[in-house]
Amino acid sequence: MNLKKSFLIALVISVIGLACWEIYWRSHGKYPTLNDDKSLWAMHRADIETATKDDVVIFGSSRAYFDLQLSEWEKWTGIKPIQLSSTGSTPLPSFHDLVNNTNFNGTVIIGVTPGLVFSTTYPFAEPWQRIQSKVDHFHNRTYAQRINYKLSVLLQQNLVFMSGDEELWADDIDLKALLRRINMKSRTKDPIMPPFYYFGDVSIERNMSMTARTAKDTTFANKIIDVWKYYGGGAHPPDKENTMAFLLEDVNKFKEKGGNLILVRCPSSGGTRIGENMGLPRAEYWDDLVKKANVKSYHFEDYDQLKDLTCPEESHLSKEDANYFTRELIKIMLEDGAITNLKTN
Amino acid sequence: MLFNSLIFVVFLVIVLAVYYSKLFNWTNKKRMLLFASYVFYGLWNPPLVILLWISTVVDWTAGKRLAVEENERKRKFWLLLSMFVNLGFLGFFKYGDFLLENFVTIVNLFGLDYNARPMDIILPMGISFYTFQTMSYTIDIYKRKIKPARTFLDFALYVTFFPQLVAGPIVRAKDLITQFYEEKKATYNQFVWGIFLLTIGLFQKVVLADTLLSGVADDVFGSSKLLHGIDAWTGTLAFSGQIFFDFAGYSTCAIGIALMLGIILPDNFRYPYASLGFSDLWNRWHISLSSWLRDYLYIPLGGNRHGITRMYVALMLTMLLGGLWHGAAWTFMVWGGLHGTYLILEKLQKKYLPFKITKWNGIFLAFITFSCVNITWVFFRAREFDTAWNMIKSMFYMQHDGEKILDSFSVVKVCIVIGILFLCHWIMRNTSMKEVSQKTSPWVLGIVWAILFFLISIAQGNGEQFIYFQF
Repeated sequence: MNLKKSFLIALVISVIGLACWEIYWRSHGKYPTLNDDKSLWAMHRADIETATKDDVVIFGSSRAYFDLQLSEWEKWTGIKPIQLSSTGSTPLPSFHDLVNNTNFNGTVIIGVTPGLVFSTTYPFAEPWQRIQSKVDHFHNRTYAQRINYKLSVLLQQNLVFMSGDEELWADDIDLKALLRRINMKSRTKDPIMPPFYYFGDVSIERNMSMTARTAKDTTFANKIIDVWKYYGGGAHPPDKENTMAFLLEDVNKFKEKGGNLILVRCPSSGGTRIGENMGLPRAEYWDDLVKKANVKSYHFEDYDQLKDLTCPEESHLSKEDANYFTRELIKIMLEDGAITNLKTN
Repeated sequence: MLFNSLIFVVFLVIVLAVYYSKLFNWTNKKRMLLFASYVFYGLWNPPLVILLWISTVVDWTAGKRLAVEENERKRKFWLLLSMFVNLGFLGFFKYGDFLLENFVTIVNLFGLDYNARPMDIILPMGISFYTFQTMSYTIDIYKRKIKPARTFLDFALYVTFFPQLVAGPIVRAKDLITQFYEEKKATYNQFVWGIFLLTIGLFQKVVLADTLLSGVADDVFGSSKLLHGIDAWTGTLAFSGQIFFDFAGYSTCAIGIALMLGIILPDNFRYPYASLGFSDLWNRWHISLSSWLRDYLYIPLGGNRHGITRMYVALMLTMLLGGLWHGAAWTFMVWGGLHGTYLILEKLQKKYLPFKITKWNGIFLAFITFSCVNITWVFFRAREFDTAWNMIKSMFYMQHDGEKILDSFSVVKVCIVIGILFLCHWIMRNTSMKEVSQKTSPWVLGIVWAILFFLISIAQGNGEQFIYFQF
């Protein structure tokens, strides 16, 4: 057995193979991206432990994530928010964690996407489980996992083929994702979900921005819209009573601690907005929540400069529009005294 | 720390660099290995290293006293102290909630309205492995089979040696401690073979277990629906493959890493899914545990020295406790009980219906054994009896309206992977990977090695924990 020879052959072929693999995917338009995973969320959740009264924490689903741009916020207020929104999730468990497990009493912004905030309190339902798994990971992560994540970030930011994402995008290129693309005749009765393609880049600061392709390529954006339709069609009826009670209990606790809570309804457009208005009418859900929570609140429809914004895939703003939305929202909030500008104070 | 993580790659490179540098003499190298092992364990949950220290100090002291003490009562005391501490830890951390839960059930059966909140005790990683390992040390000294370790450092390293600390192989003192007495350095071939074994182990874990099989097993066993027979069988086969690749993968990594340090660990798996019957299975599956159970449980319970009935009782008790070793749940006991029953039936068959195994009926017998093993995995994987029973009913087509939840590709994928697994085990059952590698051209071996490494790299995985860490 000539192990030395085998080892050298393996080494050379592996290096060449991986280099070709990397070049191949780059030539198909892929670029290195960071995974929006629970480790990244937990890293920023840890920031709350040392946050002060001046700090701002954002909870919500993907709209608060895509539409509130951190650098823009910092530019106009002097403070970079801690972004803890989570795609496809209700903000109830993460806000509950902040209220009950931290001493934070600064500013909290909750992005209200009615279909998710009022969806459920059932712990095994997807909108709840998605964010709860992140909260649990924060509390249970080991030191090895923390260091491992820091090492993996280096690879994710530099290599395209390190793309295995928790989100399971249809265009991921890890082995599992490639196998998922093999289609055979269906044997189940379940409706087939349309392919859900990667459409937002996240940074290490957890700033999410829509990809240029989604913003400019209508055909591609329509594919994302198909996914919203799929989710909308299969959604369970909202559970307003329990979700509201759960949230309001935490809202009151947070206010008692001296915290400043702000509710924000980010834009949606097209069929998604029509569907939302039909299924979760503003007066019945948003207005009622605002009244009972009795905190500062901002609905994009109430402001001329925000109400006509168009979302390329009906649910999130492009990077440019998100910057505009953030800027204008901050101006409104500053005027309203909801937040302060640390630069001028 | 997991073998399938980037942090472990960095850790291993540093350990190897220091180990092979000329900075330290052998004693200091062993100190470095001990320190590295505590870091390896402590990065998971630092306070639980204290348990390792307590276990180490108690067994070191007990071992020393057992070696010099002549008074039998005092010797028994030191042995019992060691067992009390080790089994006490195991009982408290692993079985605390289980015992409490069953106590409440029994009390309630007698009409007393008593409720107790679960203690929610954290299970220290690998506690079942290292307690069994240290117990074997004191028991062997008590039986005067071995001498105590020469130094505390040698013993502490034996308890904590990081390659096999959290999921075995469970190594006997005579096989490992003595290796620490003389300076160890891997030969060039040993070192490269160690890297090859590490690649094989990671391939089994990352590609085969986590990428190809775990999702299907999770979907099936996590489903609350009554399943179609094909789905139930596919899920069970997927778990069967997953647990083998996961655990054998860990053992192969452990053996490879130790070999890179010049330390030889024993085989833990020898192509078990091509076993010809269940005695053969337990000589091939988790060998270090089955031999531990044989030597420290089955034989002390009487073994085959006191007649057939006593032997069957000993066999069944050993398998039931072996089941319980895997987890604090009655489903694990059923798993052990089924294996005990299989072993007894096999002994009865050999006595009353003996037949010769030929190359023609061999593969059929291996297939029957493998199928029976699959039935036991249902109880091993299912968290509830209801789930297990529904699965069994589906597998034997006792459900007429079972639902199909798996897509066609998942079914085909699992059947192909498990089919190849079974055939490979059959072809390899009387040989070893090393033997086959020696007969293979360096080019072919190199290309296969590169393919494995490439697949590991593009599979990436998300650092899934090894299944046996929870045992």
